[in-house]
Amino acid sequence: MTISLNRRRFLAATLAAGVLPAGTAAAAGRKRFGITLHPYYSYVANIVGDRAEVVPIIPAGFNPHAYEPRPEDIQRIGSLDAIVLNGIGHDDFAGRMIAASSKPKLPVVEANADVPPLPAAGSAARASGKVVNPHSFLSITGSVLQVATIARELGRLDPANAEAYTANARTYSRRLRQLRADALGKLAGAGDTRLRVATIHGAYDYLLREFGLEVSAVVEPAHGIEPSPAQLAETIATMRRLDVQVIFSELNFPSAYVETIRRETGIRLYSFSHISHGDYAAAQFEREMTRNMDTLVQAMLETAP
Amino acid sequence: MHHQIVRRAGAERETLWVLLAAGLILATATAAVGLRPAPDAEAALAPHRIDSRTALTAAEQGLHADLKMAAAEIAALRKAAGISNGRSPSPAELAAQALPPFAADASAAARGGHAWTLVESGGTVAYAGLSADPGTAGSLVLLLDGDDHGDGGGDYHGPAIWLKRAAEAPPARLDEASLAAAGWKRITSTFTAGVTR
Repeated sequence: MTISLNRRRFLAATLAAGVLPAGTAAAAGRKRFGITLHPYYSYVANIVGDRAEVVPIIPAGFNPHAYEPRPEDIQRIGSLDAIVLNGIGHDDFAGRMIAASSKPKLPVVEANADVPPLPAAGSAARASGKVVNPHSFLSITGSVLQVATIARELGRLDPANAEAYTANARTYSRRLRQLRADALGKLAGAGDTRLRVATIHGAYDYLLREFGLEVSAVVEPAHGIEPSPAQLAETIATMRRLDVQVIFSELNFPSAYVETIRRETGIRLYSFSHISHGDYAAAQFEREMTRNMDTLVQAMLETAP
Repeated sequence: MHHQIVRRAGAERETLWVLLAAGLILATATAAVGLRPAPDAEAALAPHRIDSRTALTAAEQGLHADLKMAAAEIAALRKAAGISNGRSPSPAELAAQALPPFAADASAAARGGHAWTLVESGGTVAYAGLSADPGTAGSLVLLLDGDDHGDGGGDYHGPAIWLKRAAEAPPARLDEASLAAAGWKRITSTFTAGVTR
């Protein structure tokens, strides 16, 4: 009897200890906003600050291009107040996950609602430009437009913090714009920096357009998949035909393939980050975009005539 | 005398039935596909509209996105200064803040070298950028107080941005009818299909 009572007390104390912090958080009214991709973690974390929690529904380390929903990830959706989605093709798995979750009517923030979409490039391009390029997050303007949309919509869902979200979004957007201004500043006096560009993955059109560059060719057979020798030979022939001056590859891409292209064509090759690796962090987007723009500026300065 | 006709060994009847069944399935499938065609391409755009994804040059696409971003920043600047319908920041002030596309940077030079001016007409404020290189990008007009009447589909949020490839001067009048009559086209963005949907 005594033992069982003690056990009951122990259980009660353990439960109280475990439950109380969660209860306090709920009392404080901190909303939980889900995200699917790394850049969106950075956006939402900078918008909400410590007024809400940002919850990645895919654990770090999964490639969003090849992700298949797992039961534990679907379960996590049940604890959210809303979810922020790319919504134009990079996280289409989320719709199925939300439908299968305990909250099929979870409010969804379509981050790209105000972004003018570009046509998909490379292996995803079909139906005469109808398919949209989902990589709007790999650019400054695309990100600033999304940050404004996310802040506005999260403010609607959490009116008590709406003003703070708008103010934070503006501060963050200014920092992002400054990154681009700094990069462009390094090109001042460099003369004509127009280049004929090829990319290995059709993800960087949004970024390159901000620098007045156009992608002449996307030479990716399929994202992250090693091409066959015939495809490789065709890729090399295409680059020679288009007289490409610079190739942008991707960090974490199969290096033997990229190295063969570089060796056979003799074209300069640089690598961008797709911002889909590593731990989720508020500063990740700024850190990796700074590196991307440094790479771009370096390429423009080294390759321009 | 008892007669019995014995069919010779063979699968003619079965083959016939299988072929008939296959033919029936094919006919049903053809009829179903014929009767349920994919929805037609989205309604054609009004003549004074232009699609941002398929009809703009790369430079124009970059400028269009930058103008959408700038419009939000300009609205915030006006709000912060307590101006609702009063003075708007000049293009030079915006350039000083390194706000694209007004900033005179390497990107502006590579995308048509636009010369921006503030235009006001009939209570509407607009920023007009005349292109120095219409082959790269046409001239653009950003209408701050633009609203969409929903006649062309899409782009219901935010400012109105108009394009004219061969513009020699900023538009004199800023209402939709006058802009359309002067050969300007409103840029429209739509989502038609994703990579998987």
